[in-house]
Amino acid sequence: MKLGYLGAVGILLAAASGAQAQAPAWKPSGPVSVVVHTGPGGGTDAFGRAIITALERDKVLENSFIVVNRTGGGSAAAVNFIHEKAGDTNTIGIFSSVWVTDSLVQEEAKVTIADLTPVANLVLEPALLVVRADSPYKTLKDFVDAAKASPGKLKQSGGSVTARDAVVRHVLMANTGAEWAFISFPSGGERVSALLGGHVDMMMIEPSEAGELIRAGRLRALAQIADKRIEGFPDVPTLQEAGFDVPNVPQARGIVGPPNMPPEALAYYEDLFKRASRSPSYVKYLADTQLDNAYMDSKALGGFLTEYRDQLRTILTGAGVKVVH
Amino acid sequence: MDAINGLVHGFGVALQPHNLLWCVIGCFLGTVIGILPGLGPAATIAILLPLTFNMDPTGGIIMLAGIYYGAKYGGSTTSILLNMPGEASSVASCIDGYQMARRGRAGAALGIAAIASFIAGTIGIVILTLLAPPLAEFALRFSSPEFFALMVVGLALVVLLAGSSRLKSLLSLIVGLWLTSIGTDLFTAQSRFTFGLSDLVGGVDFMLIAVGVYAIAEVMGSVAAREKTQLLPVPKGFRNYLPNAEELKACRFAFVNGSLVGFFIGMLPGAASSVSSFVSYGIEKAVSKRKEMFGKGAPEGLAAPEGANNADSSGAMLPLLTFGIPAGGSTAILLSALILWGYRPGPLLIVESPNLFWGLIASMYIGNVVLLVMNLPLVPVFAQILRIPLGLLFPMILGVSVVGAYSVSGNLFDVGLLALFGLLGYVMALLDFPTAPLVLGFVLGDGMERALRQSLSMSGGDPMILIDRPIAAAFLVLALFIFLSPLVGRLRRAQHGEVTAP
Repeated sequence: MKLGYLGAVGILLAAASGAQAQAPAWKPSGPVSVVVHTGPGGGTDAFGRAIITALERDKVLENSFIVVNRTGGGSAAAVNFIHEKAGDTNTIGIFSSVWVTDSLVQEEAKVTIADLTPVANLVLEPALLVVRADSPYKTLKDFVDAAKASPGKLKQSGGSVTARDAVVRHVLMANTGAEWAFISFPSGGERVSALLGGHVDMMMIEPSEAGELIRAGRLRALAQIADKRIEGFPDVPTLQEAGFDVPNVPQARGIVGPPNMPPEALAYYEDLFKRASRSPSYVKYLADTQLDNAYMDSKALGGFLTEYRDQLRTILTGAGVKVVH
Repeated sequence: MDAINGLVHGFGVALQPHNLLWCVIGCFLGTVIGILPGLGPAATIAILLPLTFNMDPTGGIIMLAGIYYGAKYGGSTTSILLNMPGEASSVASCIDGYQMARRGRAGAALGIAAIASFIAGTIGIVILTLLAPPLAEFALRFSSPEFFALMVVGLALVVLLAGSSRLKSLLSLIVGLWLTSIGTDLFTAQSRFTFGLSDLVGGVDFMLIAVGVYAIAEVMGSVAAREKTQLLPVPKGFRNYLPNAEELKACRFAFVNGSLVGFFIGMLPGAASSVSSFVSYGIEKAVSKRKEMFGKGAPEGLAAPEGANNADSSGAMLPLLTFGIPAGGSTAILLSALILWGYRPGPLLIVESPNLFWGLIASMYIGNVVLLVMNLPLVPVFAQILRIPLGLLFPMILGVSVVGAYSVSGNLFDVGLLALFGLLGYVMALLDFPTAPLVLGFVLGDGMERALRQSLSMSGGDPMILIDRPIAAAFLVLALFIFLSPLVGRLRRAQHGEVTAP
C-alpha cells in the first residue's frame, strides 16, 4: 500500500517536471542502510563513508544513507544480514572481492554473495608489483628469472592465501614455471615494512599506498595489474606489456541488495549509482585514492561476479586451497 | 629544518586559537569514548572523519589525533573503578588498578593513571621529536623472527604473573592460547574451532573476553557473595584523591619502563597496544623487589601499563609520519584522512608539509597537558561512581557491557559470548584460577603463532632463522632468563635455608 502510494506520488512528480521525466518513479522512503563487512575504519567501511559523504555533498543522495557494520566471519555476517532482508528496499551492501573468495572457501557459509541481488559495480582496484629501490631487479622479468634460477628462495609479502596478491603470484608462477615463497601478513603496514626492511623481495600494493614510497626513492614499481596504465604511473608496464601472457585478476567493489529486490527499487539504485559515477566529488575521491571508476549495471555485474567466481575457483584449486562451494 | 626549529615552528601552528580549540575538543572526545567500552578510538575517528572534510586539515588531524591518544587516558577510569576495561589497551590496568580501588585508594589510582599517562605520553613525543628518522630505520630491521622472540618474552612473563599455583596459571594460559586460535587461519584460509558457526569464522573479539572475564565475572562474584553495601570504599577528603609521596616514589621506574616499552612496541606495525601494556606490566613485576604486592594493588603495577599504552600512541605515529605506514587500526584511519585532505604521507611529508608535521607533533605536547588538566580534577567526580548503590550499579555495568559488545559488531551472538566469558571468569575465580594468564595468552598468542610461521616460511623451514638474527637471539636469551628467574629465587632461598637451618 505504502509503496504503491509513494510510487503514485513519484509518477505525479515526474509528470509535473518534464525535465525529470526520465528519472525512475520509485524512491526509497526513509533512511537506507548500507551494510559493510568491516568495522568502523576498515577498508570497505572507510570507502563507504567517503563515497556517501561525497554523494551527499553533490546532492546525489535524496535520503540519508547510513553505514551499518556487520563484522564477523570475514564477510559472512554481512552477507547473512542482507540475505535475511529478502524483499527489503531500504538495505543495500558494499561488496568487496573478499565476499566472493569467502563464499568459495568457507564451509560455514550457508548463504553466499550468489544468493544476493547484484545492483551495480562501482570500482576496480588496480595494483602495483614493487621491489625495493636498491633491488637488483629492474623489471618483472628480472625477478621471475631470478626466481627460476633459485626456486623458493625469493619471497613475496602479502595477505591471506585467498587474497588477490596470492592469486596473482600463483598465476605468474603457473605461467612461467618460476617459484617463490609467499609470506602472509594480516595488515598492509606489516607487508610494506617487511619489504622496506629487506626481509622479503617483492610485494603487490595499492598505488595510493606505494606512490610516496616510490617518489621518495624507497620502492620501484615493476609492473601494474590493470587493463590499461593508470594515470599516476604512466611509465610502469602492465603485466601483459611486461611480457607475461596472463589473465588480469580484477578486484572489484560495488553494491548488492537483498534477494528478491523489487524491480523498481533495483532500477532506482542502479540509476542512483550511475549518476554517482559522474558526480564530481565522487570522481575526485576515486582519483585521489587511485581507484578505477568502473560502473556496471545489475546485469553486467551479475555476469562479472559469476565469471569472477569461476576464475577464482580454478586458480585457488590449482594453488592447493581447499575450495568447498 | 632541524628538530628544535621545527618544533618551535610547530608550536606556532598548534597554538593558533582555532587549532588549540580542536586539540581540546579531540582530547575531550577521546576521554569520553575511552571511558565507555564498545566505541573505540578507531571507530570514533572513522565516524567523525566525514565531518572534518570541510575543516582546515591541520586542525582536523590535530583533533583526530587527540581522540586517538585521549582515549588511552579515559580507558583506565572504568578499569580502576569497576574492573571494566574501556579499551583493549586498558585491560592490563584492571589487574592492580582495581585492587588499589578495593583498598580504598581509588582516587590515588586514578591520579597515578593520569600522571603516568602524562609522563609517558610526553616522553614518547620527545623521542618522536628528536629521533623520528633514525628510529624509523631501526624499526625496519624488526621482522617476524624478532617479533616472535618479543612475544616469547611476553609469554615468559606469564611465569611471573602466576598466582599461587604455577599449574593453574599454565592451564589458564592454554585456554587463552586456544581462544585466540579460533577463526580463519591466515595462511591456509581454513577455519579452526568454529564448530560450524559462521559467527566464529572471524575469531573472538578481545574486548568480549576482557569485559566478560573482568567486569561481568566481578559483578557475578559480588552478587554471589551477597555484598549489600557499597562496592568499594569512597575516598574521603581531598588528600585521599591524590597519590601520596610513597606511592609516587614506588612508580618512579614504572614511568620510565612504561614510556620506553610503550613507544618501542608501539612503533612496530602489527603489535596491538594491549601487547605493550602487558609487556611493561610483566617487566615491572620482574624487576620489582616486592613481587608479592602485584595483583594486590601495587601502584607501579598500574603506572607501567597506563604509561605504556600512552607512549604506544606516540610510537604508532612514527611509521605513520616517516613512511606513511599505519601501525594499527586508528593510525590507518589517520592515514586515509591525510590522503583525503590531499597530503602525501610518506618519507617526504616532513620536508614538504612542515606545518602539518610539526603542528601535529607540537599539538601532542599540548594535548597531553590538556588531558592531565582535564582528567585530574575529574578524579573526585568519577570516584563518586562508587557511591551508587549496588542495586543500581550492577545493572548499569551489565548494561554498558552488553551495549558495548553489541555496538562493535551489531551481532547478538557476541552478547552471548560476553555472557559465556563472564561465566568462565566467575568459575575460574571460584576455583582460584588466575585470569591474567588467559588474557595474556589471548593477546600474545595470535601474533606469536603468526610470527613463527612467517619466520619459517621466510627461511624455507629452517628454525635457525630465530637465533641467527642478533635482535631475535637477544630477546630469546632474555626470555630464558625470565623463565628461569623464579627457579633462581627458589635456589637462593634453599641455599639460604641450609645455612640458617641448623
